[in-house]
Amino acid sequence: MSIIRLNNITHSYDAKPVLQDLSLNIEANQLTCLLGGSGSGKTTILRLIAGLEIPQSGKITIENKMVTEAQQIIMEPHQRNIGFIFQDLALWPHFTVYKNIAFGLSERKEKNIRSTVFKMLDFFDLQEHAEKYPHQLSGGQKQLVAISRSLVLKPKILLMDEPLASLDVKLKRKILGHIKNLKQNFDLSLVYVTHDHKEAFAIADQIVVLNDGKIEETGNVEQIKKSENEYVKYFLEY
Amino acid sequence: MSLFYRIVYVLFVFLIVFPLVYTLGAALFSDGSLNDHLTLLDKDTFVLLAKSCLIALSIALLSTIFGTVLGFLLYKTNVRLRNFFKIAILIPLFISPYILAVAWKDFFYLFFNNTGFISSYLGVILVLTSIFTPLSMIIIGSALSNINAQLEETGFVITNFHKVIFKITLPLIKPALMSSFVLVFIFSISEFSVPAFFGVKVFTTEIFTQFSAFYNHSLAILQSALLIFICIFLLFVERKHIANAPFLSVSAKGTSNKLYRLKNLKIVSQVFLFSWFSISVILPFVILFIQSFKNGIGKFIQAFELLIPTFGNSIGLAFFAALIIVIIGFVASFPIWNNTETKMGKSFTWILLIVFAVPSTIFGISLIKFYNHPMLDFIYSSYAIILIGYIGKFSFISAKLIGNAIKQIPASLDEAAQIEGITFFKRQRKILIPLIMPTLFVAFIISFIFSFGELGTTIMLYPPGTEIMPIKVFTIMANAPQSLTSSMTLIVFSVTLLIISSLYFIMKPFIIKL
Repeated sequence: MSIIRLNNITHSYDAKPVLQDLSLNIEANQLTCLLGGSGSGKTTILRLIAGLEIPQSGKITIENKMVTEAQQIIMEPHQRNIGFIFQDLALWPHFTVYKNIAFGLSERKEKNIRSTVFKMLDFFDLQEHAEKYPHQLSGGQKQLVAISRSLVLKPKILLMDEPLASLDVKLKRKILGHIKNLKQNFDLSLVYVTHDHKEAFAIADQIVVLNDGKIEETGNVEQIKKSENEYVKYFLEY
Repeated sequence: MSLFYRIVYVLFVFLIVFPLVYTLGAALFSDGSLNDHLTLLDKDTFVLLAKSCLIALSIALLSTIFGTVLGFLLYKTNVRLRNFFKIAILIPLFISPYILAVAWKDFFYLFFNNTGFISSYLGVILVLTSIFTPLSMIIIGSALSNINAQLEETGFVITNFHKVIFKITLPLIKPALMSSFVLVFIFSISEFSVPAFFGVKVFTTEIFTQFSAFYNHSLAILQSALLIFICIFLLFVERKHIANAPFLSVSAKGTSNKLYRLKNLKIVSQVFLFSWFSISVILPFVILFIQSFKNGIGKFIQAFELLIPTFGNSIGLAFFAALIIVIIGFVASFPIWNNTETKMGKSFTWILLIVFAVPSTIFGISLIKFYNHPMLDFIYSSYAIILIGYIGKFSFISAKLIGNAIKQIPASLDEAAQIEGITFFKRQRKILIPLIMPTLFVAFIISFIFSFGELGTTIMLYPPGTEIMPIKVFTIMANAPQSLTSSMTLIVFSVTLLIISSLYFIMKPFIIKL
């Protein structure tokens, strides 16, 4: 069953087309990787799903509810039940780890904020870092704080924009292990953007290969590996 | 927020821009034809304008040359105490020019018993060069430190040091050199207090005389229009570089700046830096100090008593002006953060820039002409008119400082909060404002200092009977003994330093170190 549907989406930045009449279904409780090179439109898709961009044409539904239609945001980002991990992680530098995670909860006037935050910190083994500021954390710890911050609000969908781009191979493997388990542990659908096919092959249930704002191929890892599409073959060579 | 933004924009246009446009328009096009008015501009006017341009040109050229040397030494070499000098050399920029004018006149009086040399065109050029060189230094120094080291290192692989400097480094900072030249030219041609104190006739003093002494308002406004035209024309030519001025930043994104090792030139450079600091900063204040106390503390006490009634008014005015200027700067800049900058937002920045370029005396005249109306008397005859003057003059600097700080904060910090459902106001209050707090503080301090020491606008606008510090000093210094004038300027300088230090210690706990 599709949890996100993008229908005939066209989008451009300053008259430069990024997505052209793109349609895409993302399945529920799956980890879908959007794979492609620079300028392929993968981050734009993520931002459109989140409601951070408005497409020039087309419509987007999440959980069968129209969220964007005819150049208009129908549902605001925070009403879409999503989490977003940005490439730069976007941890608020003036908040401690605890405050970074609790900020969204306090806005929603949740009860037991402290215990909810500490449960999350406990899950990712971050309790001892609760009072630290982002600049006092290692790269891997920052990733986990960013993930905790999103998950604490219990989203149905987690959007991740190349979150491991700045990590070394060893740390990448460790965090990928965490990401792989998120789906089961938090009942999530994940959309993961990357330009690294090895990363995609390591975690994805479904892969969508993008090139110049168009979908070249869709399938599971095996299907993508065996694809006869010229671009996919070329992309996987490197 | 959109409504608040519009209200601020409309108020700024109505209270500040409209009077300027109205006064100039009325003077040029009503009560007779434009041709009739233009006949008022005789040969003498144009000769004086040419002289003023020549003075401003000399100051701009000298400041840019010295600023380049100082900028290079302090931002591109391993010269000793460079961090200290980077701050210390800036001091003249934050002190009212007339204070330094008094100090230099004292110097010539003390050592040569003759002030003829300094009370001349050359004197104006030298004093204003010492004031504006720090501005050139920041502009050029910022550009130099933003050059990617690899661009110069690639040059060193191919050729020698001199060719790298002249063929790579200097061409890369050409926009900064141009910005420095144009800005210093505009500031110099608009400067009123130094030539007025030295008794040197330039275009701004002539406008003041025509307006205040001869009540020849039509001629004063026509002369003003000429000066505004020159300033705006230059700003228009250099609009791209000045509107995006990176030098108006509290902190810049780190780039890999290449530092040169000074070998044979190290001692010469050190001597040059120390001499510049001594002549432009230490000497004027030592002289003021000597002049103030050479006959005991009598004159100092008298100066203090004369200035006491002005303290509250001047500090209060500068405080409220700085507060409003920071709010305007923030309102004009915040749409940059979440890319919501509209045409209205861009035009706001332009309006701030144009008003900033209008010389103080001219700006003052236009406000007087507009607000001198029975219905607007509550503004005309109160401190409100001075407040409006300060806000118009200094909002551009605050907007650029805050805008450049906002540009350095990733939009994702706002977007992450947006996704979490944090409201617009809470995002501003809890994320954006704390992150730019150091810049807001610096913008406040700079606006405060500039407003506190502003003479050109204040002298045109102050309502009779009001007690404001620069006016009191300026009016008394014309007939007072030199030691009284020196004491007064020394007090103004000390009060400025005291206020800056106090504000720093009060605000320190609220500035988050990131």
